[in-house]
Amino acid sequence: MLVLAWSNIKVRYKSSVLGIFWSLITPLIFLGIFVFIFSQAFSDIENYPLFALSGLVFWNFFATTTSQITASVISGGGILKSIPVPPIIFPVSSLLAALFNLVFSLIPFSMLMLLFGQRPNWNLAALIPVIALYASFALGISLLLAALNVYMRDVLMLWSSVIPGLLYFTPIAYPVELIPEEWRWMMNFNPLFHYINSIRKILYYSSLPNLNEWLVILMIAALSLLIGIFVFQKLQRNFISAL
Amino acid sequence: MEDIAIQLRGVDFSFLIQRYGVGSLKEFILKPGKGKYFAYKTVLRDINLDVFKGETFGLLGVNGSGKSTLLRVIAGVLQPNRGSVHVFGRIAPLLALGVGLQPELSGLENIQLCGTLMGLSPREIQKSRDKIIEFAELSDSIEMQVKRYSSGMLSRLSFAIATAIQPEILIIDEVLSVGDLGFQKKCGRWIEDMRKQGCTILYVSHSPEQIRKMCTRAACLEDGQISVVDEVDVACDYYLSKF
Repeated sequence: MLVLAWSNIKVRYKSSVLGIFWSLITPLIFLGIFVFIFSQAFSDIENYPLFALSGLVFWNFFATTTSQITASVISGGGILKSIPVPPIIFPVSSLLAALFNLVFSLIPFSMLMLLFGQRPNWNLAALIPVIALYASFALGISLLLAALNVYMRDVLMLWSSVIPGLLYFTPIAYPVELIPEEWRWMMNFNPLFHYINSIRKILYYSSLPNLNEWLVILMIAALSLLIGIFVFQKLQRNFISAL
Repeated sequence: MEDIAIQLRGVDFSFLIQRYGVGSLKEFILKPGKGKYFAYKTVLRDINLDVFKGETFGLLGVNGSGKSTLLRVIAGVLQPNRGSVHVFGRIAPLLALGVGLQPELSGLENIQLCGTLMGLSPREIQKSRDKIIEFAELSDSIEMQVKRYSSGMLSRLSFAIATAIQPEILIIDEVLSVGDLGFQKKCGRWIEDMRKQGCTILYVSHSPEQIRKMCTRAACLEDGQISVVDEVDVACDYYLSKF
């Protein structure tokens, strides 16, 4: 599994000049765009770049992971047809590769944190379980998408148009307070919001999610993973005939 | 009674066929219903087969008769819909056509990846690495990305990888038609060696001459069913009279 993850990483950067540094550059480019556009609009937010980046890095993780995993089973088709391996290794190794990437892209983030005068603190350790839950949530959704995508390639296309929509529907570049009070309840149904919220609490506000928030992100992760694995197991029998 | 290497009992296999083309999503949303979009096509019907340890068994059949599917069922890549498959001994993967290779990775990385997926430990891969490279005659270009390989190099590499796990059961799907004359001879010698060491060989072809030369017993596969299992001459004569 690790070997496969490692080869995923290698494949991704093989033909690019800057290679692995793209993990650092992509969020920074993103940030540049967002800061340029929004920092005037949200000038009342302290350290806006930090605020935006804490959301963006993790948003980016979600967007790339789900689309890569969705495509992973199809791109592993050659191997699936020749070596008897459980198909689930492809999604999981894609996830590992993406996690590796995420850790890498936290490097520019931590530099920015120091630059803005945030002191490293013990609350940051809470990021590890949050990331683990976030990754399980992303994996669950992606397993569902990946399994369906084998039968209907429309799924990936659909998903790639849903993704940008989610970006604007989730308070990533803007604070949740911006949403009018009467609409804010809708955010409770956006699973991404809960994760971004907890992550931002740790990274931006240097505090910890409360018990309620922990439970919510735990439940979403568990539910998503259960559904994903269930559907994947159900559908994997006929993967090869559909590939 | 001799020892059995491969035992198939009442094996049925059907492929899932997708029946939609362009514009499917529209139909899918307007008139949902699983039955209309997927159909099963039976490829193998009630296959019973015993292959004994140490024999060279031929499998004859025209294109589309289900040979490759049967091989995949035996190799464990496909699960039969009904019936049982028992394989006693380490079976070489069906790498012969090079589908399992990752085009973006170098030859060396492909060796590591495939080796791992076939269940070799890092140490075993390390040990057999040089042997694979030597066998594939690729020592000059092993660092090159596989997508730049010629088709002969591809098939040499995949054959060499498949040989690395020291199989007890070998499936040969017309490999001898790949590579140049020198490599064909080498493969032929290697197969001969394996046979002398008591390796079970399942040789698949649509040419009776090849089968007659190599095998002791043979079966004819016709339209997903086994019509004859007998001494090689009887099976070949039947096959020739039929087509």
